[in-house]
Amino acid sequence: MAERKPVEVLLADGGDHISDHLELLADMSLDFASSLDIEDTLMRALTRITRHLGAAAGALFLLDDSGDVLRCHACCGAVEISGFTLKSNEGIVGRCVHKNVGEIVRDVANDPDFQKSVDKRTGFTTRSILCAPMSVKDQRIGAIELVNKLGGDGLFAPADLNLLQVLSSSAALAILNARMAEALVEQERVRRELELAAEIQRSLLPERRGQSFPVHGVNYPARTVSGDFYDFFPVEDGRICFNLGDVSGKGMNAALLMAKTASLFRCLGKTIREPGRLLGRINKEVCETATRGMFVTMVGGVYDPATGAVILANAGHEPPLFHDRNGDFTALPAEAPPLGISPLLVQGEDFPEEELWLDGGTLYVFTDGMTEGYIENGDMLGVDGLKSLIRKNAELAVPERLDAVLSHLNPENAALRDDLTFLAIEDKRGGEYEVARPLNDVPATVEIGEEVLFKLIFSSRADRLKLVRSAVQRTAELCGFTPYQAHDVVIAVDEACQNIIRHAYGGKPDGKIELKILRGNEKMILLLRDFAETIDVAMVKPRELDDLRPGGLGTHFIREIMDEVEFLPPPPEGGNLLKMVKNIT
Amino acid sequence: MKHHIREVDDTVIVAFEGDIDLECSGEARDVLMDCASRGTGVQVDLSGVFMIDSSGVASLLEAFQNARKKGKTFTLAGVGEPVMRVFKLARLDTVFPFADSAS
Repeated sequence: MAERKPVEVLLADGGDHISDHLELLADMSLDFASSLDIEDTLMRALTRITRHLGAAAGALFLLDDSGDVLRCHACCGAVEISGFTLKSNEGIVGRCVHKNVGEIVRDVANDPDFQKSVDKRTGFTTRSILCAPMSVKDQRIGAIELVNKLGGDGLFAPADLNLLQVLSSSAALAILNARMAEALVEQERVRRELELAAEIQRSLLPERRGQSFPVHGVNYPARTVSGDFYDFFPVEDGRICFNLGDVSGKGMNAALLMAKTASLFRCLGKTIREPGRLLGRINKEVCETATRGMFVTMVGGVYDPATGAVILANAGHEPPLFHDRNGDFTALPAEAPPLGISPLLVQGEDFPEEELWLDGGTLYVFTDGMTEGYIENGDMLGVDGLKSLIRKNAELAVPERLDAVLSHLNPENAALRDDLTFLAIEDKRGGEYEVARPLNDVPATVEIGEEVLFKLIFSSRADRLKLVRSAVQRTAELCGFTPYQAHDVVIAVDEACQNIIRHAYGGKPDGKIELKILRGNEKMILLLRDFAETIDVAMVKPRELDDLRPGGLGTHFIREIMDEVEFLPPPPEGGNLLKMVKNIT
Repeated sequence: MKHHIREVDDTVIVAFEGDIDLECSGEARDVLMDCASRGTGVQVDLSGVFMIDSSGVASLLEAFQNARKKGKTFTLAGVGEPVMRVFKLARLDTVFPFADSAS
């Protein structure tokens, strides 16, 4: 810090001017305090200081943000050097700032730091310099430099330096205040922009529908903007396209990628009805332009309110939970990577699809903000916690149920750790929202007079059989079978699926099985297709029943129950196609 | 599928609840084989089972044969109609000894 002379010295050196000095200081302070435009005020202050101290010219230098460059922000008097810059350690002004000490240079010719370039450029002759740093505590801001004392002996006196130091300190404080005010204004501007962004984001979410609509969702952002999203909209054939996604990261960049992905889904979802293909297309688009390291997990699906069937594709997202009508939960884990990582990670271009029959149950899709959110006692909710909250509120209508579950994660509106997004697809058949639609997806194996009742695609995993059984039971009853007869059909289909899982796919869990159920003339036709190696039909034999070896019973069950069982010629793309027929009696 | 084991007069009684299908028949087999190695007899209570498939039947059959080899009794109890239908399909309705009701 500069060693400043006590104020009394001012009295000794220039006591006759003390009241003038105080008046100038008071005026300047007042001017700074009421200043709306700091540049303008600094200019006025510099002019007064220059005149008051009787200098030929004055300049006010400020350090830039980096602290490496001094720039002339205001100047007055004989020369115009506004905008002139020099390195922060150059010249007399640089030395003054660097040492944070004011000084009088009576003859610049003898000062090695003096920059002759300015005089050369302006034609002015600098003889003496008075320079005082502007700083607040140790924070250096810049300096005020006065050139050539007019009148008298033409030399600046120590009292001049003292006075300039007092005045420059006052200016420094004013500049600092102004900068803080500017930062506040900027903060406010950013806040308003974020609010605007959040409003636009909210407008991307679908409007809440009435209770009779089968799909409902909620989203609570942790910050103003969210990286989560969901959407649903009916398409022409009466089915409802839905999605829920989570962009990696939070804040503005996540929000922008969210907006892009959500828009792609809404736009492409109107023409592409297969969720696997749709996610494949979005993946390609996002991969082409996404910022490196950012990705989106997403569940996209199509729900058919007429049949209760859901076709899903899951790109690396938290497994959705299916709550069936018996109250059991089934998790549906992702079988593909998130969107935006690489189009090469997905075989072919489409994401794997899975079909699910709601059959009076409800499908819940949510982001990890839900399962990783904290509940009142400070614990993480977890998947089990979510299940028990869903069970506990199962009596409520879906929109209220979603709110009730979320209320546990947001106790008294405490700050959220992550965005919360929660979507439910409910089987509302028989309700107001039921759309009859023609089944135009008629496979080549369907003959005239046959009607496709049901189609299901599932993975070659034992834990999928429960869903298959429940779907087959209901469909068989729809065909006109008694529950007891329908149970027989269930046994046959279950066994046929087991054969595929165990023998065709050899226990590999990532194979696909497609089940199609048709109703023909007084008969129910079941087509079961796999994509494994084509098997030698001659090898498939029912077991001799007198032989009590365990295993090998399945094929016998199928032949006992069904009226016709045959392997159709394998489709050109390989695999096996089993046709089973049960007469309706 | 859930199961519950208790012992009455040196007979191990194992009660299953839920579907015995491909997903859990391996687990059912382990439980049954363990029961067959304890006590002097095994009773399998199937009153909580609605659906059993060929793999579940195979598990029962293996435990049955195992118990018999060791000279132990092995009975099924609480068999409902849907489960009995599967035993009939497998022609096992005359092979398995059935108890009238779970003890």
